[in-house]
Amino acid sequence: MKIHRKKKLGVILFVAAGLSATVGLTLFALGQNMNMFYTPSQVAMGEVETGRRFRIGGMVKEGSFISESDSLKVRFETTDFVHAVPIEYEGILPDLFREGQGIVAEGSVDSRGVFSASKVLAKHDENYMSQEVKAALDAADALKSNNSLQSISER
Amino acid sequence: MWMWFAKLGSPRWFYEISTKWLPWLASAMCILMIVGIVWALLFLPPDYQQSFTTRILVIHVAVAGTSLAFFPLMAVAGTITLVWKMKLADMVAKHAAPLGAWFSFVTLATGSLWGSVMWGTWWEWTDARLVSMLFQFFLLLSVVALRSAIEDPDKSAKACALLSIVGCINVVIIKYSVEWWNVLHQPSSPLSTSNGSANGPEFWMATGVMILAVYLFFIVSLTLATRNEILQRERRSQWVQEIVRTS
Amino acid sequence: MLEAIQFSSLREFFEMGGYAFNVWSVYAIFSIFVLVNMLLPILRKEKIIKELKRRASFEKAETNSVREP
Repeated sequence: MKIHRKKKLGVILFVAAGLSATVGLTLFALGQNMNMFYTPSQVAMGEVETGRRFRIGGMVKEGSFISESDSLKVRFETTDFVHAVPIEYEGILPDLFREGQGIVAEGSVDSRGVFSASKVLAKHDENYMSQEVKAALDAADALKSNNSLQSISER
Repeated sequence: MWMWFAKLGSPRWFYEISTKWLPWLASAMCILMIVGIVWALLFLPPDYQQSFTTRILVIHVAVAGTSLAFFPLMAVAGTITLVWKMKLADMVAKHAAPLGAWFSFVTLATGSLWGSVMWGTWWEWTDARLVSMLFQFFLLLSVVALRSAIEDPDKSAKACALLSIVGCINVVIIKYSVEWWNVLHQPSSPLSTSNGSANGPEFWMATGVMILAVYLFFIVSLTLATRNEILQRERRSQWVQEIVRTS
Repeated sequence: MLEAIQFSSLREFFEMGGYAFNVWSVYAIFSIFVLVNMLLPILRKEKIIKELKRRASFEKAETNSVREP
């Protein structure tokens, strides 16, 4: 390679490295602000002031979903398996919404410690499977927990 | 060692070799495209949660994945332009930008059509994955605008090359946004080889065919556009005039 | 892997489990995207060749006319 080309390539690499370092540091500084939502634990630890609008993301706790029959009002709890936060919402829920599913809700915590949501989004995880596979996996899980229960009772 | 490199930079060599290869690439693309679409539409099993909307994701994943190739390609071409002043590299970069904008737009549109029914929203400004992909769309449009804004072709090539190299940073952000931050967008799926588990071959095989088809489409379309550019820029050369006379 | 076709009737196929609008819109957008980006460069090539041919014959006529007198 000719010397002036080597020089040019060096300058380009230097500029590219410098820019990526700048962007990297900026993103690092932004840190928490780049997150779309807080977890229930963060909310329970008081990381968000009451009355402030924010987003909370977690799983819909199994068995916590209650809906009123005559309106669109629903109540459920969202959890990260450490802390749970109760949520109230009135409106149409996305098709993916169900117990055990990840959700993101937008709203604020009131004085009772209840999160009243103006919007509820369903989050999908990275797992895709057919109904048959899901049924087979669930059956296997049930069998496993049955066996462990049995081994406990045998003891 | 530099022989092949110098040869690769010759527009004439590229034009002649692509004349030979294009029919093969284009037919492979057509076959894979048809197989992928028919497979996805007819045979893909419905997901236990999303029902038939996984048919959207087959297209979305293939186009989105390919859209990430544009900035690295344009950056490599730009570096070659800046350092070695190779004409061919700039011709490829010039036509990659608008095609990349198309890819980014289709990624956003198909993603929105899935999100509107599954997430319950068309668009979320707070999701780092969504916003960084929108940013890539605007960046590619600005590369196109920059190209036409500067009249001196040498200067505009240099400016576009620099912007392309800088734009690569955004590709890294798009890729890792789902891991670095809490976002609505799901992370990429781990592939499983067994049929009885999540993300088994019954799901990703159709997507795999579609990814190959879309990559081939990207190569074929970009090659066609580059060949047009060669014909125009080299119109005074003997070999182009020969092609014009015989066609 | 290639299991049976997932639909028992044509109507079911068009309905896509109730997601007809979203699924079919995506395939329509994708088809337009592929067709446009294949056809545009092909049509452009024809235009370029035509233009270059016209120019070549024009230049030929010019050199001939210079030679004639």
